Amino acid sequence: MRTLAVELRKEKRTGVIPVLLAVGILGAGYAFLNFIVRKDTLLGLPLAPMDVLLTQLYGMITILNMFGIVVAACMIYNMEFKGTAIKRMYLLPVSVPGMYLCKFLILLTLFFAAVALQNLALVRIGMTDLPQGAFEMGTLMKFAGYSFLTAMPVLSFMVLISSRFENMWVPLGIGVAGFLSGMALANSNLNLLMIHPFLIMLKPAVAMSAQPDKMVAIAAFIETLAFLGAGLWMAKNLRYE
Amino acid sequence: MDYIITTEGLTKKYKTFISVNDCSLHIRKGTIYGFLGPNGAGKSTTMKMLLGLTAPTKGRFTIDGRRFPEDRLAILKEIGSFIESPSFYANLTGRENLDIIRRILGLPKDSVDDALELVGLTEFGNRLAKKYSLGMKQRLGLAGALLGRPPILILDEPTNGLDPSGIHEIRILIKSLPGLYNCTIMISSHMLSEVELMADDIGILNHGRLLFEGTLDDLRQNTRKAGMSADHKLIENQLEDVFLAMIEQDNAARKQRAKL
Repeated sequence: MRTLAVELRKEKRTGVIPVLLAVGILGAGYAFLNFIVRKDTLLGLPLAPMDVLLTQLYGMITILNMFGIVVAACMIYNMEFKGTAIKRMYLLPVSVPGMYLCKFLILLTLFFAAVALQNLALVRIGMTDLPQGAFEMGTLMKFAGYSFLTAMPVLSFMVLISSRFENMWVPLGIGVAGFLSGMALANSNLNLLMIHPFLIMLKPAVAMSAQPDKMVAIAAFIETLAFLGAGLWMAKNLRYE
Repeated sequence: MDYIITTEGLTKKYKTFISVNDCSLHIRKGTIYGFLGPNGAGKSTTMKMLLGLTAPTKGRFTIDGRRFPEDRLAILKEIGSFIESPSFYANLTGRENLDIIRRILGLPKDSVDDALELVGLTEFGNRLAKKYSLGMKQRLGLAGALLGRPPILILDEPTNGLDPSGIHEIRILIKSLPGLYNCTIMISSHMLSEVELMADDIGILNHGRLLFEGTLDDLRQNTRKAGMSADHKLIENQLEDVFLAMIEQDNAARKQRAKL
């Protein structure tokens, strides 16, 4: 608990908290604006109203979330490397893997807040703009949970990458490359490609149905744990020299 | 003898380069130990090994009876350290930086003000650390090491970047610390004359090897016996001349060994 409090204090003036909250607000704003401008076109699509609400707005929101995660993960470790503050931490009686886990949890919580804001906007749209009786809260909650889970491998992967490179441009570049390659491969059905964390995050965005894909959800869960485990192991065993 | 830090055959090898070679140090409790050596002698590497920043290739050490890596947290709780350049969070003020360390160490709130006052940084405590001058950053690093008045201080060239009056202030502060709260200090410096004014014991390192360990008087006696003083015209028995003579002799011996 003490490590978490310390980590939160370190975030002051880094921009990590505003970035992810801004992503939530922008995503919510985009959903409102899109539905105001394209309401008739969207509801005219040959899809169930809930599928329209959840799948047709999610592309842009996912991209926003992805960039939010990449930038926030880079920033959360950049402040450790700037001024070599991390060296000071290695000289203090603090658990380095604990520090890593707290950073992961802070990003996870902030991202959850961003996703919650976006989904609140979808709830509002669903209740006011979908045809009478078409809005299903349960379906929205299930899809929100699914898309949150599929974003976790990117978050876990980016925290790992940014913790290993002192130069912030390296993890940022890896994040952009991950996004581009993920976009290029998003429609592929090859199961082996599920190993790509960015591809998993894009799966709900390219789906035409609001029904979660079990296979994708399992792969997301395993990858999140694998990257988190690798990051914790490296934090414990690879010394700062 | 009551030693608080001892090393046995401490060695650090980087691929083909040996940074520290079979170094055995003995630091007495409640004293100031001056760690001398030219650039690249292995002083910082030795200190990094003592703090767990880098793992020894060979050898071992104990700090207050404890060993790395088993007792890492217990050891680091007792040590205030300052290695190479000052480390700080650029996005935080000096006071906030110290508050982070205070929280980790579980110290009372007033320890931050105490540390700021000790290094003369009180009036700049609320300025962002990234806006500090080099000297102020150095003082902040030192304040971080002194926070909570730890029983052991490991300071690697703590006066680098300070102006002459700053060097004088910090020297007086460091010298006063063992008397103030019975701490042990290991300090390295390129300012050999400075170490002479502070240290009770000294260790001289050259190319990773410990050439000498003992009191200043022992060193002077040793060099006289070895006949170095005549060759190098010791001026007023200054440590700097003794030190340079010793390093030169060792370097000459190394060159000779290399030729053979």
